Amino acid sequence: MSRSVWKGPFVDGFLLKKAEKVRDSGRNEVIKIWSRRSTILPQFVGLTFGVHNGHKHVPVMVNENMIGHKFGEFAPSRMFSGHTPGDKKASPTPAAAPAKK
Amino acid sequence: MSAQTDSAKRVCLGVIVGAKGLKGEVRIKSFTASPEDIGTYGELTSEDGSRQFKLKATGFQKGAVIGRISGVTDRAAADRLKGERLYVTRDALPEADEGTFYYADLIGLSVETVDGVPVGRVRAVDNFGGGDILDVERPGQSSVLVPFAEGIVAGVDMKAGVVRIIPVPGLLDDGGNETNDGGDETTDDPAAKTKADG
Repeated sequence: MSRSVWKGPFVDGFLLKKAEKVRDSGRNEVIKIWSRRSTILPQFVGLTFGVHNGHKHVPVMVNENMIGHKFGEFAPSRMFSGHTPGDKKASPTPAAAPAKK
Repeated sequence: MSAQTDSAKRVCLGVIVGAKGLKGEVRIKSFTASPEDIGTYGELTSEDGSRQFKLKATGFQKGAVIGRISGVTDRAAADRLKGERLYVTRDALPEADEGTFYYADLIGLSVETVDGVPVGRVRAVDNFGGGDILDVERPGQSSVLVPFAEGIVAGVDMKAGVVRIIPVPGLLDDGGNETNDGGDETTDDPAAKTKADG
């Protein structure tokens, strides 16, 4: 059963404080978190979180498409990379514009 | 695992995992971004380069590409190819756009900060949905994950074989306990809480 709408999205309080602190400072920083259960909120867009996967912190750059998902979805705890695709390309992800307050 | 052999600049695009049917078709585990593309980069070669394969992908079944290799006409011949890894030369892949890099090219590059401090070497490139991530192995330390993103990666010098990164706070320190931000409620590290309790 899905979460009742009247409760609003779940997010750990300390996470909000950490994110707000980094946003206010304006520094580019990886915010280390262990709270995989927290929902990604619009005010997290543009920030980089290091989400713990039980072993290390997986960097997650939050963009608009991630809003509503949980942090844990982007840091798999059972990691099997398999074979690297031979013809797959990567380009530096442009920094997402932070959400307006 | 790297898709690239260091010596000959060849890229492994797949491996033959078995035969399909009686007419010489083979099942191939494809390592390309889109599995069906394995036959589109020209002639494939064996691992030692001694054999050439002209492959035509004919279908996709149960996670494997079904293909027909010219000269292979019966099941026995297809069975003999089981385990054969299929390579192309790096030059056979189309040129990447400006600012875009093949995973295979990034793997093995050394990583250093913009100040020239060496960090390690790229072991793998992953993407779990939160952007491309460089897995950087460091000598004598645990590996570290670095987002392949603007603001973190200052530049990639393919000629020098170097990825230059900006060591933003929290990026290169180990994944252990973070310093407390001023009170137990500001950290969500369960280990730190246990220590505080005990």
